[in-house]
Amino acid sequence: MSGLDPYVWSNLVTVALVVGGLALARFVRGQRLWREASVELWRRRRVAIVVVGVYLVIALLDSIAWKGGVPEGTVGVLPNAPLTVVDRLFLDTKEASYSAPLADVEFYGGRPLRRPGTHLLGTDILGRDVLYMSLKGARVALLIGGLTSLIAIPIALFFGVGAGYFGGRFDDFVFFLISTLASMPGILLLIALIMVMGRGTLSVCVALAVTGWVGFCRLSRAETLKLRELDYVVAARALGVSEPRIIWRHVLPNLAHLIVITFVLMFSGLVLSEAVLSWLGIGVDGSWGQMIDGARDELSREPIVWWNIGAAGTALFGLILAVNAVGDAVRDVLDPRTLRAGE
Amino acid sequence: MERGDVAGTKGRGRRRTRVLVALVVLATLYAAGCSNDPYPPEAPGEKVLYGAFEEAPRSLDPATAYDTRAHAITGAVYATLLEYHFLKRPLELMPSLAVAMPEERALADGRVVYRFELRRDLLFADDACFELGGAGRRTREILAADVAFQIARLADPKVGSPVVEPFSHIEGFSDFAAALAARRESDAAFAARPVHEQYAAVGGIRGARTPSSHVLEIVLDKPYPQILYWLAMEFSTPVPWEAIAFYDGAEGRPRFDDHPVGAGPFVLSVYDKQARYTLVPNRNWHGLRHPEWQAPGTVYPSEGEPGDREAGLLEDAGRPLPFLDRVEVRRDKESIPRFNKFLQGYYDASGIIKESFDKVMQGDALSPEMQAMGIELGKAVSPDFFYLGFNMDDAVVGRAGGERSRKLRQAMSLVLDTEEFLRVFLNGRGLPAQSPVPPGIYGYEEDYRNPYRQVDLERARALMIEAGYPGGIDPRTGEALKLTFDSYNTSAQGLTQTRFYTHAWQQLGIDVQIDATNYNQFQEKLRNGAYQVFESGWVADYPDPENFLFLVWGEMGQSKSGGPNYANFADPRFDRLFLSMKTRENGPRRLAEIREMKEILARERPWIELFHREDYALYHGWVKNVKPMGLSMPTYQYRDVDVELRARRRHEWNRPVTWPAWVLLGAGIAILVPGIRTWRRERQ
Amino acid sequence: MAAYVIRRLAYGVGVVFGVLFLLFVLFFAVTEPDDIARKALGDKAPPEVLEIWKQNHGYDRPLWPWQDWGDNLLFDHYRKMLSFDFGLSDADDSPILDRIRAGMGPSLSLTVPLLVLSLVVAIPLSLVVAFFRETYIDRMGVFLCVLAMSVSTLLYIIGAQFLIGKLLRWYPISGFDSSLAMLPRFLALPLIVGVVSGLGSDVRFYRTVFLEESSRDFVRTARAKGAGESRIMLGHVLRNAMIPILTRVVLAIPFLFMGSILIESFFGIPGLGSMTVDAIQANDFSTLRTMVYIGSLLFVLGQVATDLSYGLVDPRVRFE
Repeated sequence: MSGLDPYVWSNLVTVALVVGGLALARFVRGQRLWREASVELWRRRRVAIVVVGVYLVIALLDSIAWKGGVPEGTVGVLPNAPLTVVDRLFLDTKEASYSAPLADVEFYGGRPLRRPGTHLLGTDILGRDVLYMSLKGARVALLIGGLTSLIAIPIALFFGVGAGYFGGRFDDFVFFLISTLASMPGILLLIALIMVMGRGTLSVCVALAVTGWVGFCRLSRAETLKLRELDYVVAARALGVSEPRIIWRHVLPNLAHLIVITFVLMFSGLVLSEAVLSWLGIGVDGSWGQMIDGARDELSREPIVWWNIGAAGTALFGLILAVNAVGDAVRDVLDPRTLRAGE
Repeated sequence: MERGDVAGTKGRGRRRTRVLVALVVLATLYAAGCSNDPYPPEAPGEKVLYGAFEEAPRSLDPATAYDTRAHAITGAVYATLLEYHFLKRPLELMPSLAVAMPEERALADGRVVYRFELRRDLLFADDACFELGGAGRRTREILAADVAFQIARLADPKVGSPVVEPFSHIEGFSDFAAALAARRESDAAFAARPVHEQYAAVGGIRGARTPSSHVLEIVLDKPYPQILYWLAMEFSTPVPWEAIAFYDGAEGRPRFDDHPVGAGPFVLSVYDKQARYTLVPNRNWHGLRHPEWQAPGTVYPSEGEPGDREAGLLEDAGRPLPFLDRVEVRRDKESIPRFNKFLQGYYDASGIIKESFDKVMQGDALSPEMQAMGIELGKAVSPDFFYLGFNMDDAVVGRAGGERSRKLRQAMSLVLDTEEFLRVFLNGRGLPAQSPVPPGIYGYEEDYRNPYRQVDLERARALMIEAGYPGGIDPRTGEALKLTFDSYNTSAQGLTQTRFYTHAWQQLGIDVQIDATNYNQFQEKLRNGAYQVFESGWVADYPDPENFLFLVWGEMGQSKSGGPNYANFADPRFDRLFLSMKTRENGPRRLAEIREMKEILARERPWIELFHREDYALYHGWVKNVKPMGLSMPTYQYRDVDVELRARRRHEWNRPVTWPAWVLLGAGIAILVPGIRTWRRERQ
Repeated sequence: MAAYVIRRLAYGVGVVFGVLFLLFVLFFAVTEPDDIARKALGDKAPPEVLEIWKQNHGYDRPLWPWQDWGDNLLFDHYRKMLSFDFGLSDADDSPILDRIRAGMGPSLSLTVPLLVLSLVVAIPLSLVVAFFRETYIDRMGVFLCVLAMSVSTLLYIIGAQFLIGKLLRWYPISGFDSSLAMLPRFLALPLIVGVVSGLGSDVRFYRTVFLEESSRDFVRTARAKGAGESRIMLGHVLRNAMIPILTRVVLAIPFLFMGSILIESFFGIPGLGSMTVDAIQANDFSTLRTMVYIGSLLFVLGQVATDLSYGLVDPRVRFE
């Protein structure tokens, strides 16, 4: 037995994430401050939040996979492959080549389609349903944004809070590390990391995290420096409360709003970075970036094939716009300092 | 106080306005002075041909350059003993640097001698490297020894020429290589000397001798009539030893790879691998120095095949070559901008990109729109062959797997629908290949059908079961069988094409991963045997079936000899037939042998034959004397352009559409004016 | 003052050494030379071939000084990088330094005008947005910014080539020529794309800066004195916002040398950006390594210069 299949892992991680998300939601409801903030957020950005939610649901439906249950007579790799709900919805939709949205015949040459009138967003050159591929992209995008943040933010917190709170040698080291990393051109370091670690989802996320944690680390270090001089923290130290406990009880909660803001603002940048990586040929398989890259030549086809790049571009744009909108509001709600600037 | 202030503000405001106006004027000038013409203006009356290249060739050394990209340059810069007639079909050899076609003399012991006499007073193109032969020298006469020197370079293992095999028919060729390597190994002082001294010290190649300064005798161990074709290619061009000694890449000098020194009709005057190259006529070329010779290949031919006269291909008969003053080639990596520039008249010739096929073509002819632009279409099945190969040295797909692997290869071959591939990706421009031999080459049979190149999913599935991979499941892992497909096409388009193959194989339950690297690295991988499934193609060097069937001749094995048998296929029966077919005259015996070889290939499946391309070349109406050669051979010296017509058309086609600029300007003003008014109001 | 300069310079040198160490860890220790050779030659390359390749590219020695003090890759790496001896490309054996020299010109001819133009367009626009703060113009502006930021640069490039290059025929679709007469027309399209794609984030940034400045006391004072809003914006706010704007610009200058990866490759500009892209596609580790190093070096230089000039202007900085 050589460990679990990847898809089982992915299922477990998904379940863990959902449980974690629910727990977080419960926690938010329990805290007055956070509850009010989220109510305010909902008031301000109802549409954007719903849009993000839709993307989340699609990604979840595409994250739980299981084998079997394929109709009799299906051939090829499908019967042995783990399939998700989204896969199952589009099980036998492959055509020979391009079909325009909802067309009955093939786009070039006009041969009859296997499944006329069912391709809501048409098919690509290999006859794959574009709606299907766009839906699958949601999971990839959320994975890139989410996983990367999950790696980057804890690292940044560890170094930032540690450096800010303890100071001394550790602070010097962290500061040096930050200035070193910050002086390396981000995109190049990113590419170098991916080339060194090999292509693939995980290495793209790790590379994005390594290049992305510096900013937040700097922020949390500065914030911790201020927090440790606050009266109640000084008092707690004087009372002999253990340092980890002080950090846990007094420092981290006061950084929570920064974490949320950073997470949301980082997210869209990460997804857009992936599009650039895709174009360089080192992106994540199945991402919208790859679809855009693959489809850009099609704009010059005559007659023009627009649905492919249109679908991927809209899906990407929709998510980024919604997240950016939420992010702006999150910052306004949680960080009163920037509010002042708008007065 | 207050007045002064207001005046001051006004002054500043006026200055600001002035700066603003100046900026707007500047911007307008910029916009108006620009056009989409990517070239600086030509000198009046100068005839320039414009082209594009995708990626610079790895090497321009005529001993190693073996791809169309390199030949586009080396073919124009280097001259050879023999060359092909520009118009006659089937292709016909004629003397070029040689005074006449060589007579073939068979010796009693089975050896064959070809005697070439070089023209007198031929000069190399002017080059700094000739200073090595005396201060201030810029050129020198071409001697038979220069050809012998280049043939010795082909044998030199350090040069790494890909055509060692055909040239090893020359007597003493391999001995020379071995002796050279041995001396270098044992004697460090020897290895440090310039190569021409090394070659001389080893004694040169026995079968490439120079009885007098202008006579070269090529002695073959046994008959090999194809050698003449090889002597018409740049591999055997005269190369001055000075160039090899001088262009070593040290002290800021370029490497010989990037700096050709030849005797062809053109010289490479600008070579920037990232951006452009330029060819200009070589004033030392014998056509220009001795027009009175009327040497073949230096004047436009006055006879061709039937139909050439009607096509206007004989209008220039008898005129001295070349017609062009310059060939300007720009790097244009992306195919779509490249094609759009062709349509704008900025490139003189182009293929048809798939994206625009439906716009360019209507049925079998050009669309009315293209005809109205005066574009002409050249169509020909090119003597080439594209295939997917299996590395027969590999444990899973290769010969080590025996019967199992053969069945696997057969199954994989049965599910690839080439017709569909051609339709989806190449607009049907191609002929599904049944064997490596393309139409127009002896041994091609129109009604031959390869039993494993007919799409048959059921049979393929059955074969998978026989091969021990039922449903594509590899019994060792219990998972889908995993294979690697090495592709050098990293573009999005290339990856999509590769996915077409992998999707087809998915129907068998085989999981084929794509490993995409660039062309040079792909070559490197091939050299090192690190591949399972690959895609490759072959364009004929010369019109003979031997030139296609040798791709799977055991001796040519990539792993064995570094030859182009990338499949590393080796089959004793096939090899015997090949050797026998190779030297045989075209006739029933030869056809029978070729047929049997096809059978073996069909059964053994070292490769999956894909297609022979159909070339659709587009030319603008102002380009004259275009006739496809089939072989990779640039014919810039015959080409001519009607400069006035081009200038007129370009002007006509590239009038900018300006109304959106006015709309934008209007919108800008509409936004700005209220703003300025608010500002004014406030100030008062 | 001298002490401050020395301290700052020493820190800069330290950071460069740190960068070099990270690069070493990344490209030599994590990726063993064997792997680099394998990436270049393929997975199943025979060991002899790997050895020859490693020898030719100088990878055939022990990694760390404690393995061999006199002859190890770490010292070698530092020595070569610090003396700008970048060696040969892993992909095509061409000297890296030559290619960098050749690529610098085309890159700068794109990035310098791009920076200037971005400033010229973005600052007035953000002034306008800030001027109309809290009105529908401001809200529209911010919304448009977010919208513009949410579009991938790739889409801008594709759109511009299609619309301006192909349909309107204003400028060449792609290409490059370094002669002064030809350069402007080749740069037009890349510049338009560069300015427009950066506009969203630029305007948002400058707007924030302007708003921060306009809420300061002296601005309130000026307003209380009855100065016109436009005069406040141009006279007080813009003038005081110059410091953050200049800092941003100065910090951007070093990166001008690196070119622009996306724009250069799409428009066929043979600069350092497209060279980097070629290196990525060819798994050319040595070129990529060199580019990261040069980028970091330029950044550190820029920062040291900025800090030193602050130190000159503002004595308080020196004692921080």
